[in-house]
Amino acid sequence: MTSTLKILGALALICIAMAGCGDGGGSRDPAASNQKVYRHSMDQAPVSVDPTQAATVYSNFVVLNVYDTLYAYKYLARPYELTTNLATGFPKISDDGLSYVISLKPGVHFIDDPSFPDGIGREVVASDFVYSLKRHFDATTLSQAAWVWQGRIVGLDEWKEAGSDYDSEISGLRALDAHTIQITLSKPYPQLVHTLTMGFSALVPREAVEHYGREFSIHPVGSGPFKMERFDTARATLIRNPRFRAESVDLAALGFDPALHAGLGLEAIEGRTPPFVDRVDVNFVTEDAARWNSFSKGSEIQFAKIPTEQFDTVLSSKTPPTLKKELENRYNMVDFVEPGVIFNTFNMDFDEFGYHPDPAQAERNTALRCAVIKAFDWEQRSERFYNGIAKIYPGIIPPAVPEMDSGMSRDSVTRDVEGAKQLLADHGWNADNLPELVYGVAASVKQRQLFEQFRGFLTEIGYPSEKIVLEQFATFGDISKAWKQSKLPFVSKGWNLDYPDAENVLQLFYGPNGSPGSNDANFADPEYDRLYEQSAVMQEGPERTAIYRRMNEILVDSCVAIMGLSRTNLLMWHENVIGYPDRNIVGGFWLRYVDLREE
Amino acid sequence: MDLLQFAIRKLISGIPLVLGVTFISFVLMVYFGPDKTYELLGKNPTAQQIEEVRHQLGYDRPFLSRYSDYLRELSTLDFGHSDSTGERVIGLLGRTIPVSLALTTPGFVLGNLLGVLLALIAAYHRGGWIDKFIMGGAVVGMSVSFLIAIVGFQLIFSSSYGLNMFPVRGWDVYSLTDYLRYITVPTMATVFVALGYNTRFYRAVIVEEMTRDHVRTARAFGTRPWKLLYKNILKNSLIPIITRIMFSIPLVIISGSLLIESYFGIPGVGKVTYDAITTGDQPVLKAVVGLTAVLFVLTLLLTDILYKMVDPRVSLK
Repeated sequence: MTSTLKILGALALICIAMAGCGDGGGSRDPAASNQKVYRHSMDQAPVSVDPTQAATVYSNFVVLNVYDTLYAYKYLARPYELTTNLATGFPKISDDGLSYVISLKPGVHFIDDPSFPDGIGREVVASDFVYSLKRHFDATTLSQAAWVWQGRIVGLDEWKEAGSDYDSEISGLRALDAHTIQITLSKPYPQLVHTLTMGFSALVPREAVEHYGREFSIHPVGSGPFKMERFDTARATLIRNPRFRAESVDLAALGFDPALHAGLGLEAIEGRTPPFVDRVDVNFVTEDAARWNSFSKGSEIQFAKIPTEQFDTVLSSKTPPTLKKELENRYNMVDFVEPGVIFNTFNMDFDEFGYHPDPAQAERNTALRCAVIKAFDWEQRSERFYNGIAKIYPGIIPPAVPEMDSGMSRDSVTRDVEGAKQLLADHGWNADNLPELVYGVAASVKQRQLFEQFRGFLTEIGYPSEKIVLEQFATFGDISKAWKQSKLPFVSKGWNLDYPDAENVLQLFYGPNGSPGSNDANFADPEYDRLYEQSAVMQEGPERTAIYRRMNEILVDSCVAIMGLSRTNLLMWHENVIGYPDRNIVGGFWLRYVDLREE
Repeated sequence: MDLLQFAIRKLISGIPLVLGVTFISFVLMVYFGPDKTYELLGKNPTAQQIEEVRHQLGYDRPFLSRYSDYLRELSTLDFGHSDSTGERVIGLLGRTIPVSLALTTPGFVLGNLLGVLLALIAAYHRGGWIDKFIMGGAVVGMSVSFLIAIVGFQLIFSSSYGLNMFPVRGWDVYSLTDYLRYITVPTMATVFVALGYNTRFYRAVIVEEMTRDHVRTARAFGTRPWKLLYKNILKNSLIPIITRIMFSIPLVIISGSLLIESYFGIPGVGKVTYDAITTGDQPVLKAVVGLTAVLFVLTLLLTDILYKMVDPRVSLK
């Protein structure tokens, strides 16, 4: 009896061990099959790879590799430049800027999948694009992208109101034939082509959506350079799509600059057809220590965003960031200024800081906001939290877009404690009558530290420490709820650009976008709104740039926000990897061009 | 027959426990948990879209209606789809629980076996230097946080700064050798921390048993030390040992180990559970809480049966 129990126990242990074996996707060991494998890493994991949920950098990154979009950004060109992807060329735009006709490349196929008849992927056609965009306006998909096209395409909002019947046509979104799309806008939308680079706009086949139902989010069926083999909280495994269209690389057309890209080995991909690796493992490594250990090991992940605590280990100089000599032969590095902005806004709905019916009090409130801005020390913020290599600039328009005004006065980002004190005194503010300032954060050690630094700045201008109050929220969802319900007088947040056009950040202060929209400041300035509406229908050009810059000045003059900063990330990759990485705008598009040097 | 009757009685008496646990946890989820709505919204939502998301999540339905759905889901083991990933919850757990089991079982088994063994040695040499040495080690194990142990062991055994013998992270398990490569360091970290708690607990139990008359008598008859420890002491100490081990099992199965999984890149149920808690993914949370409650009821039953097996004096009535 005892021996039987022992045998059963041993068998149970072996069963438990083997039950957890396999990689979740039933794949074979790549090392055993001599595959060319590139091991990427990201600092967060996406939760879904349905294009309707591609709202994060992480999700978008994967989506862009398993699906196709009509347009993309040139792999190597900076500032970012649009190029075609699934479209044969740029749209034919009518003179009034309302009609866009886009042709699709013929002969592009979805991957083979059980959702298709006989499991063979069919050709990608124009109606797939129409269907894919419609999904964002179907309430059951919980799309995070409706805002991108809402109120812009003729008939799309009405289609939703009528119950989202996929078989009914939309006058402004049509497939003219198998390879031609026509989009009719209700008003000009110069950013439209940019939105067609986003993972949100990726083309999905209706058969797969209906076959997998809600689990379509983890069973991507696209026509991108890779297909997904495994997806869990630790990793996404992408394998080369053998049916991906053959298009050879023209480095010059991709923005190759011999001066900028020398030494990266990119010349080796000229004339070849991507993707160049058989498999990509996108590892999701949230813990900085584990990411660095894995990266520096040599045999595991080959790309990593370097944790700030390792900067001293890898850099010989921070300005500009330079690798230590002994690491130069082992790694490549790029200092990547994030196309986004970190800023803090006052919520103008709160009459102790923002708008006030009494003009005199409104003026005092403006002085108070300006004093807080003068008290804020961006240099210290960068030094303490971003290793002193962040980009600091006046206004909300970041360096990643061409509309940034490098000649703008830097007064709003230069600390002036005495000026702040004087401003408070001139407007009758003192320790007794200064209002309580509630600073909301999603609970974390770093957020607490950011708050303490902020409180330190303000106490130096005489703001009583006890009047600067921290309110912690358990999750990002909770603080987001407080923002959307306009319950916090002070909002501290970051915004990643969805596309490289300053409109994407200027809309953060457009009056009609007030809570629950993206204008958490609830800023409502008639001149600003007028300029926004004027520029929103203008094509790129000096006139529009001038308006953008004027709007930026209004924001600075109104003292509505403490702005701005763009983080600089150090991206490192092993020397045997041929590539030029990008996290946000080009994002996942670059993975198809990654290659590995022969050992 | 007695056993069957006992099992049925025990399972029926577990129903109020499951109902209580699920009700309280559901109240917490609904009224105090994170609001998933705002995780799912786009960057520039309208009030209408907020209402749509709330409707899709079922937040606009009465509490009791939602709770009765929960009980139905628990009874059919169909918890629907994760609000975050869209994956079927039962499939999600079916995919991740075996990984967590494979990851945590060796550490759990070794931590308890070694704990009992060290406790026996320490108790036998009570007051001597061996006892002090073992107990000192146990205190060290208890004093070091799990996080530090994980980072430390990873650095020492896996990284290029240390011995570089094992993978830093991953779970590409195609053979028993792969399995051993991936679990060795996590297991060492788990055992290092668990051993302290286990050894101290088991020593206390064994020391108490050693003061019994039958042990004194056995010693007087010249019973050899190992025989004394095994037959006279360990066997008679099994009730509290079984209790401790059995009640740890549901947590090992369902909760996994978040820290281990995160640091070693292992796709287990710990990370899934943590994400569900922090983002308010109610379908996953309902499944985890409900299944844990059911497992506890089953564990209670199994524990009572084991009591009977190791101590014939225990009556199932």
